[in-house]
Amino acid sequence: MPPVDSTTRWSRLHRLIEPPVLSILMAFLFLAVIWAITFNLIARENAAADRTAAAVAMDVADTYEAQVVRALREIDHTLKMVRHQLEDHPAQEVLEDLRSEALLPPEIIFTISIIDARGEILGSTNRSSLPENMAAMDFFKRAKEQEDVVIGQPQRERESDEWQLTFSRRFREAGNRFAGIVAVSVHAGYFVSGYESDALGEHGVLGLVGTDGVFRVLRTGNAISAGTAINYYALVQEDTPADTPAEVTVNPWDDTRRYTIARKLYEFPLAIVVALSEIEQLAPAGRIERSYIWRAAMASILVAAIAALLGRLSWQLQKSRTRIMKEQAEHARNVEYLAYHDNLTGLPNRALFSQLLYRQMQQAHRYGKQLALMFLDLDRFKAINDSLGHEAGDELLKKMGRRIGESLRESDIVARLGGDEFIMLLPEITEETQVTKVAGKILAAVARPFTLAEQESRITISIGIAMFPADGDDEQTLMKNADIAMYQAKEGGKNSFRFYSEKFNTDSLERLSLESSLRNALENKEFCLYYQSKQDMATGRITGIEALLRWQHPDLGLIPPMQFIPLAEENGLIIPIGRWVFKTACHQNIAWQNQGFPKLSMAVNISKRQFFDENFLKDVGDALQESKMAPELLELEITEAVLMHDMDRTIRILKDVKQMGVRVAIDDFGTGYSSLSKLKEFPLDTLKIDGSFIQNMIPNAEIKSLTTALIDLGRSLGFTVVAEGVESKEQADLLKIHSCDQFQGFYINKPMPPEEFTSAVRKQLKGYADTASPD
Amino acid sequence: MQIMRTTVIVWICLLSLMAGTVCAAEVVVVVSSENPIKSLSLTQITDIYLGRMIRFPNGNPVKPIDLSESSPARSQFYSRYLGRSQPQIKAHWSKLIFTGRGQPPPTVSSGDAMAESVAENPDAIGYLSSDFLDDRLRVVTID
Repeated sequence: MPPVDSTTRWSRLHRLIEPPVLSILMAFLFLAVIWAITFNLIARENAAADRTAAAVAMDVADTYEAQVVRALREIDHTLKMVRHQLEDHPAQEVLEDLRSEALLPPEIIFTISIIDARGEILGSTNRSSLPENMAAMDFFKRAKEQEDVVIGQPQRERESDEWQLTFSRRFREAGNRFAGIVAVSVHAGYFVSGYESDALGEHGVLGLVGTDGVFRVLRTGNAISAGTAINYYALVQEDTPADTPAEVTVNPWDDTRRYTIARKLYEFPLAIVVALSEIEQLAPAGRIERSYIWRAAMASILVAAIAALLGRLSWQLQKSRTRIMKEQAEHARNVEYLAYHDNLTGLPNRALFSQLLYRQMQQAHRYGKQLALMFLDLDRFKAINDSLGHEAGDELLKKMGRRIGESLRESDIVARLGGDEFIMLLPEITEETQVTKVAGKILAAVARPFTLAEQESRITISIGIAMFPADGDDEQTLMKNADIAMYQAKEGGKNSFRFYSEKFNTDSLERLSLESSLRNALENKEFCLYYQSKQDMATGRITGIEALLRWQHPDLGLIPPMQFIPLAEENGLIIPIGRWVFKTACHQNIAWQNQGFPKLSMAVNISKRQFFDENFLKDVGDALQESKMAPELLELEITEAVLMHDMDRTIRILKDVKQMGVRVAIDDFGTGYSSLSKLKEFPLDTLKIDGSFIQNMIPNAEIKSLTTALIDLGRSLGFTVVAEGVESKEQADLLKIHSCDQFQGFYINKPMPPEEFTSAVRKQLKGYADTASPD
Repeated sequence: MQIMRTTVIVWICLLSLMAGTVCAAEVVVVVSSENPIKSLSLTQITDIYLGRMIRFPNGNPVKPIDLSESSPARSQFYSRYLGRSQPQIKAHWSKLIFTGRGQPPPTVSSGDAMAESVAENPDAIGYLSSDFLDDRLRVVTID
């Protein structure tokens, strides 16, 4: 698999540029450079030293050759000069004459002798240094035989024991007969006296070697020797040119390696030998080499130390960076955990649950499976929190979470949505009994008493269950329906569970929706009052107005009181709403009076909860005071049911109301099975007969007689009798016959919004004025 | 026995010392009485005889003269005034001659010859046993 290979190669490459590895690599690079430079420099130094030594050897050889040749020529010149003098002077006088003329070389070095054919010394500049007879000397024998200058074998001098060299030439008598030799003896050291330690060192060589292979003189340092025999031809290559550079060879006489130059002299049977010790000549280079190596070693140690330091530092840096990254990752995981878990119970929170639910729904959808969503709510959690404290409440929630968890299957999920609400997700459901079983287990688990704040508490819960996909195929619907089912369970009795059912959806939904919007309705000014007039039965003139509450819902439109008043009663919203009704109705009435309306009574319906509210009288008083409406114009309409609920209390309240001057009407009379005997005990002003009697009295004779009886009853008790829901002229006429005081209903007026009501009443008033004026 | 032998040795030594003093007259450095030089330092004498100095301090050329090697005054002179042995002197000249940088002073074979040579030449300088002094010569004092 090539991609994998390239990846590993890349990661391996990547590791190379990690700081610790990088510093080691850099260190190796530095070391390589340092040592490469060092060895290069050493090689150069050695090469330079080698060239220098060879060049010095050459220089010394050139100088030495010139010196030797000059010295030899001087000696030969002396030999020839003496020989020449001998041709016409006696031997005894020759040396004396030449000496007095200062023609002889310095005696301090040179000894000139004249020896006859028998070897007897005829004359000498230093006789004491010579043996009695020279006939046995090698040079004597050889000089006798040959014409050329003879260089004798080195001899030790008798007195000083120093090496002596003798140069000689023969001379002849008249008749060309051998007559003797002229000899010049010189200390061998003379030929190597130019040895300079500066150039040749202590182990260099200056020397003269005869073509016979015998060293005439050989000097190394201060040691002068002679007579050593070597292989001449191995040492002197006569055919090599004079400018051949010196080469290192092992000198056979002392087995030392030297830059050696051996050069045959042109006119004499001698070769000069100049040699420089290799060890000595290369010693400075060796010292430099050692110093270079020493420096390189120091630099290497330094580099290694720096690399180690850097490596360690970067390693530590990397380690701490890794640690920080780990900590950050840990922190991120922690944050994520906190973000997706409830920190009290450790259960998943709503956000996580939402994700899990979504995933499970997808799975279930793909494989055609069912899910169950359970909503769980504690029935009396608020009470426990209030009585035992928040800590106990938290403890309870934790224990709840554990018990729920223990009751679930492995694959089930429990989450806490907040407050006392838990939610469970049961995947892989094939039949409802599986869910029932789990729900039962949860109920049983929770039913066991909890120990909270060292007290035993019993908890009940309500569970609502919604199934996916039957009860909703999206999260919102499922959650809502489970919630509805739970609400139903709560309604149906504590510690129970309920499956969601379509039929209670609408009720609950409407109710839920109304309840929440009702809370905001007052604030959003969604309420309004409709007004309906009351007419005098005899004259038809308008006598009063009834204010009727309407709710203009932004989405649902106009909602009749039947639908929301019971809800407002239940949740107590009726109190502020009622307060608003008082104020609005009173202010409207005053407004109309200011517009020229006659003083009309204003009737307001009072609900049971409103009536028994402790602030009821205050609210009524406030409304009157604020609007400055006369109390006798206000009429409170209460139903029979309210009247009969708590008679004593009702009478007390009504008396207070009457005290204020406000009138009281009994509404919808005839429907509430009132105890007629008690009726007279209430301080009432008006009796309003329910519309159902009026509408049915024409076709139904029984109802007609019942209605007339009601009218008579009211009149006999001294109440003003008002017929509600009059819809036709027949009804109105009939009521008129039976002496009903007033009526209201569609026959004359339906409930109307204030503006409409204003114009309607205005028209009516004008009509009366028109009909009245001809009378 | 022991004491007698020691006494004999002491006497022999004393006698030989006396004899040495009597025989070996002092070696002195001389110039011609015509030469204005009256005194020289040992260093100047050394330099003149090793060929390093070729003029007197007054600027006149200097011509040193040596006695022959066999002369006892020669070795006395070199050891006393130059602090050098004969072989050292020999090595010195050997090197100068060989390398062509100098020639040793000419030699005379006797004190008389030395006296003669120095007296003859106002530029000459020489040395001799005080036995050979005469009016024509002046002894150079050593600073």
